[in-house]
Amino acid sequence: MRRTIRAMLLLSLLPALASAHHVLGRPSYSLNEDSNTPPSMQVETQIGKYFVTYMVFPAFPQPGKPGRINLYVKRLRDDHPFLGKVRFTIRDDSWLASDDAREELGVQEPVDNVFRQGFVISEPGDYLVIAEFEAEGEPYRIDFPLRIGNPSSMGPLGITLGVIIVLLIAVNLLQRRRLARLKTSEYHAREEA
Amino acid sequence: MALGVGEALQSVICLAPGYVAHPGLPVGWVELVLAGMVLTMIRVLWRPESVTAGAGRFHTLVDLPGIGTWLRRLARHHHVLLALRMMTVAVFLLVIYAGLFGTPLPERNFATVVTWSLWWTGVILSVAFVGSAWCAICPWDALATWLVRRRLWRRAPEHVSLNLRVPRWLRTVWPAWWMFVGLTWLELGLGITTSPHLTAILALVILVLTLVSQLLFERKAFCRHFCSVGRTIGLYQQLSPLALRPIDPEACARCTTLECYHGTADIEPCPTHLVMGRLRENTFCTSCGACSQSCPQANVAWSSRPLGSEAMLDARPRWDLAWFVLALVSLTSFHGLTMLPVWEDWARQVAQVIGDSGQLLWTFTLGMAASMAVPMALFVLVAWVTWQMDGRKLPFRRLFSVLAIPVLPLAFSYHLAHNLNHLVREGRGASAVLLNPLGKGALPMSEAEMLQRQLHPLLDQDLLFALQAGLLVFGFWLAVRILQSRMSQIAGAGPARSLMLPMLVFVAGMSLFNLWLLMQPMVMRM
Ligand code: SF4
Ligand code: SF4
Repeated sequence: MRRTIRAMLLLSLLPALASAHHVLGRPSYSLNEDSNTPPSMQVETQIGKYFVTYMVFPAFPQPGKPGRINLYVKRLRDDHPFLGKVRFTIRDDSWLASDDAREELGVQEPVDNVFRQGFVISEPGDYLVIAEFEAEGEPYRIDFPLRIGNPSSMGPLGITLGVIIVLLIAVNLLQRRRLARLKTSEYHAREEA
Repeated sequence: MALGVGEALQSVICLAPGYVAHPGLPVGWVELVLAGMVLTMIRVLWRPESVTAGAGRFHTLVDLPGIGTWLRRLARHHHVLLALRMMTVAVFLLVIYAGLFGTPLPERNFATVVTWSLWWTGVILSVAFVGSAWCAICPWDALATWLVRRRLWRRAPEHVSLNLRVPRWLRTVWPAWWMFVGLTWLELGLGITTSPHLTAILALVILVLTLVSQLLFERKAFCRHFCSVGRTIGLYQQLSPLALRPIDPEACARCTTLECYHGTADIEPCPTHLVMGRLRENTFCTSCGACSQSCPQANVAWSSRPLGSEAMLDARPRWDLAWFVLALVSLTSFHGLTMLPVWEDWARQVAQVIGDSGQLLWTFTLGMAASMAVPMALFVLVAWVTWQMDGRKLPFRRLFSVLAIPVLPLAFSYHLAHNLNHLVREGRGASAVLLNPLGKGALPMSEAEMLQRQLHPLLDQDLLFALQAGLLVFGFWLAVRILQSRMSQIAGAGPARSLMLPMLVFVAGMSLFNLWLLMQPMVMRM
């Protein structure tokens, strides 16, 4: 009974709270059961004089299916929301991809202080969403990760296996060379004796 | 039934701006901790006594009725150890698979839950009971050894390794020190604890490092010099009540073959160059069991010893180990600091001052450096004052290294108390993750589920508080006992009393800071 009362008390307060521990700039995920919104991926970050919250709905967007970005920007000094325009662009998030290959998603104005940007991306992969705005005469640019489709991470595994195999072969070869050199010097020593 | 809103919130959850946080140690327990500390101080200052008596005596566990025979078998045969190693390797591979191919939700993925909520918290707890037993079944070492030796357990006549001697400048624990600092930065700064993907990559990187070390150097240089997990466990086990030791020290004294050091045709030599018969401290023992398997007289077994006796009497003071202890005590406290709700506010303010953006990595690095520098600088000052008071009889480095030993229980007790919190409060979701390791179809943790976890921790919350309070008092008491023992070895019981004062202030200050940390609400990782 006591527990139920505590639970009810807390449930009534929880919507006002942020969810689990998060690290600024790292994606975290949340689910609000009480609303109709699907689970979301969220990144909070600080840039210059502004604190930015970026949310992606659904948390795991799929190729060819519509998704939405919600962006909320507030001034750190007084929590005042930014009310100008935000330009959203997107590009591949790979080491080789350059900023020139960006595609524009749209330019948005705030509705209820939130900048909403829809998207449909057909190819699965890792993308970078770039949100840009100008405030108090200064340009701001924030990069956020966006994963489309289920993650496939053969890369790290392949690299590790590759490194292990190369290391084993290299040390094996070195060892053989050392052994051969040792045998040759032993042979010469015997010859000289 | 009278239950006010405030009381209900206090007993379940503590609210800080924008966070769900667990309540800290209540005032009643804090008062008990303070009383325990004061009583310890009074006893030490009024009744200085030699703590050497009774300490350092070993009781072999193989003499225990019933369990003794079983322990003897366990120590002599490799099968159980091999089976355990295979199990940890299987879990390790699953961690990597789940981390790379499972859900990115940290609380639903096997990789993050097992690595950070269960293993990293549990491994420190395990030292209190079984010393460095983790190292004996460590999957990084097992996998690297299997790859290099190309066999599961028997000694390989030839193996793929250049067998180089570790260069003199690397024959310290400084590489492990840097790895420890680096891992803490990755864990708390970059936030890999909340990323299954990065957790798996880190596991792979450490595997490659272990392998490289085995391919280049003789025996297990990685365990002895480079591995921060091993060195943390190694230092903490100076306080552990269990250690591998000769059953009959006389038999070792007569031994001329030293199989424990050289190995046999079948069994590997001691991986960290230890001779069991001369072993005074277990800091570098990885509990691998090679000595107990190779000793022709079956003279090595697990023994019990008084708590902290190794730190009081046997542990050799070393400059590099002293700095590792200081890193341990500062970074464990820093760990707690970063989980306070106020941490992020401080970080934001500092970031604004220095113009940091994004993940605030510069701010974090600055905070971490300051959190290490302050206790370290205070310790240097305390060591210097003690050195002056002692008339500079000992070289400064030696006194510094001796004084660092009593700091160890402070790090250990806070580490345990902090980790207990994680284990008890985050461990609740572990069973669901074991059933669905990849988190297929799992949704993020909802607020209601989070609340359920708060309401039903693995241990009753009051019991958790009691354990935390007990650990803090225990850590303080043990630190003071070790200090007393070490100072009376240096200066004799009488002069030791006044010589101890600067260090007593440091020990009390660190303990009070750790107590303050435990009093604060703590934001959980997942
Ligand atoms: S442990 Fe065994 S092999 Fe090693 S010194 Fe003692 S008797 Fe000799
Ligand atoms: S062989 Fe060396 S490291 Fe292994 S248990 Fe024995 S003393 Fe410890």
